[in-house]
Amino acid sequence: MNPAKNYDHLFSPLGDPEDFKTLGVITFLRSPQVSMETGALKDSGARYAFMGIPYDEGNVGKPGSEDGAQAFRMASYEYFPYWFEYQVDLEGHCIDCGNVRIPKVSPELAHERIYRAVREVLRSGLIPIICGGDHSISIPASRALSDHIGEDGRMGYLHLGAHLDMADSWAGEKMTSPCSMARITELPNVHPENVAHVGARNSMNPKDHVELAESRGIRFFSMREVIDRGIAPVVDEAADRLWSDTTGQYLSINMNVMDASAAPGVTAPEPGGLESREVMQLATLLGQKGAPSIIEISELSPVYDVSDTTSKLAACIVLRLMAANCKERGETVDQSIKRG
Amino acid sequence: MTNEPKWEFVPHQHKGPAQQKGKDDHILSPKLHNGAFKSAGLATFMGAPYCPPDRDAIRSIDARICFLGVPWDQGQMVRAGTSQGPAGLREASTQYFPYMFEYGVDLMEFFRPVDCGDIPIVPGNNEKSHEYIYQYVTECLEGGAKVILCGGDHSVPIPGSRALSDFHASGKIGYLHVDCHLDSAPDWEGNPNTNCSGPARAFDLPNCDGSNMAHMGSRNGLNPKDWVDFWIDNNVRLVPMQEVVDRGIDVCTKEIFDIAWDKTDGIYWSWDTDSLDASCMPGTTAPETFGIKPREALELARVAGTYGADIFEISELCPQYDVSDMSTKLVCCMIYHYLGSRAQTLRKSGLQS
Repeated sequence: MNPAKNYDHLFSPLGDPEDFKTLGVITFLRSPQVSMETGALKDSGARYAFMGIPYDEGNVGKPGSEDGAQAFRMASYEYFPYWFEYQVDLEGHCIDCGNVRIPKVSPELAHERIYRAVREVLRSGLIPIICGGDHSISIPASRALSDHIGEDGRMGYLHLGAHLDMADSWAGEKMTSPCSMARITELPNVHPENVAHVGARNSMNPKDHVELAESRGIRFFSMREVIDRGIAPVVDEAADRLWSDTTGQYLSINMNVMDASAAPGVTAPEPGGLESREVMQLATLLGQKGAPSIIEISELSPVYDVSDTTSKLAACIVLRLMAANCKERGETVDQSIKRG
Repeated sequence: MTNEPKWEFVPHQHKGPAQQKGKDDHILSPKLHNGAFKSAGLATFMGAPYCPPDRDAIRSIDARICFLGVPWDQGQMVRAGTSQGPAGLREASTQYFPYMFEYGVDLMEFFRPVDCGDIPIVPGNNEKSHEYIYQYVTECLEGGAKVILCGGDHSVPIPGSRALSDFHASGKIGYLHVDCHLDSAPDWEGNPNTNCSGPARAFDLPNCDGSNMAHMGSRNGLNPKDWVDFWIDNNVRLVPMQEVVDRGIDVCTKEIFDIAWDKTDGIYWSWDTDSLDASCMPGTTAPETFGIKPREALELARVAGTYGADIFEISELCPQYDVSDMSTKLVCCMIYHYLGSRAQTLRKSGLQS
């Protein structure tokens, strides 16, 4: 044995198990990597902080979403920070905080770490873009926002997805992904008039979910209604609920809101959902309304994806929302700038 | 009364020490374990109980829907694989509850469906395999049930429609063919009973008039001229894909179902998965572009549910070409939306509880 050499690499991880899954410095939109500490976050001068949450132990169906964040980052490499449709430059608007450290088979500890990470970013005044992971991540993340804005604040919640996720419990567990909206609508500063769900369809919505949603007065725009009325009026109405007299807004984008043909790389693909052009319009409309306090992408499962379709779509939704909001604030690129 | 018909739904995966015994457990979030989602066990369609394909057995438990799989893919000339269709569909159905909030209906309770398993087939013998299909479908019809028939290649409607024709021997039947292909070859290299000849053989049936037949969704260049001539020369309604795009799926669906149900006693509805666009239905024998979109398919199923069909057949589903289960789940949803809408319609008209 060479006493000068470290032999840790021969063994199961001794310390941080996350090292095994971290491939190097691949960051969202090639943005700087900044540690999840208030000081560093504030000093970055960014508006958005991306973080990955490689957690899928809250799912009840197919696994695979724990690798969503990494695919999302890779997809963002295919894009410039310049978006010509909006004439904006997103360079410097975001940083990447890496992944939240997730322990194995310890849901409570995992949720607690997610809570702390999101809370830290909110405290620093940045907008967390959190990328799951299964949909249960929205339970601790929304609690972080709820605590951040405090008892006197009002929190809006907009949920895009094929499933209502209104199980009081699933097989006795209260913190799994089909319970996400049930838990969020129990937060003290979330009022039903500030909650909306868009995209519900098909029969992974058992009877108790629908009944709990109705008993809590949750407005859900089923896919049928979206198709009948068109995406724009529905998004308008849903966004009004999100923004009406609220001090914090949580936007939850479950990728299964998309039609399975547009987004095969999800945990539970569902036919009859949004088409790509509809979700692009949705992202623009939401960005024009304002930047939510938290943007969440969940259930992205690259293992089922085809040609990066789903991860690129997910990246596009977030970037488009950021770009539309950037334009709304008047921060457009000086047109006199030319290539030297 | 000991002879009282009994229909009991306790999913097999719920049996044993952790059995849930609530009457409505199958339409509620699981209480004790993950249910079918990761413990699918012995998968049946919709988790329905198994019932032998026997008219007395079906009648004795008062099943209103029989699911039959047809693992037959030697009647086609494109690529094999659709013999696995029924298995893929059963697997996809484990991801769904039999409750449909869009229609407010518990399909399990309303239809008392049963899964009658797969029809046995004889490799290399189209004639014998078709004869078995005929016999098994006849058992279900004689048992008083409607049939969900899952192929299998698109030669399945040949024995399937013959069974319906004989079932309504003293009356008339309608025949609908929703497909990318016109499938009206008089024969294919001399064989009259391949997946190229479903409507042509239905037309030969003694009690199926051309005026009660229709085709919807045809497009692209795998439709030789003799197939087109069949529809034109026999004056049978043909709704090509372009017309569906121009007029809308609901209008066209209503028209073809009106045709099929015009003074008939029952109808055979054949829905080929290649009628759907290849982007949402990669898991099919001959994927084709410019087809029906998923939301249009669900609308088609909904409208069809307002009419009903004695036999609703889905064919050419090939799970091994599928991507992320999108095709098998879409087919599952097409059937569920059809049944949801059917239940809603029957309930509204007071015809069934």
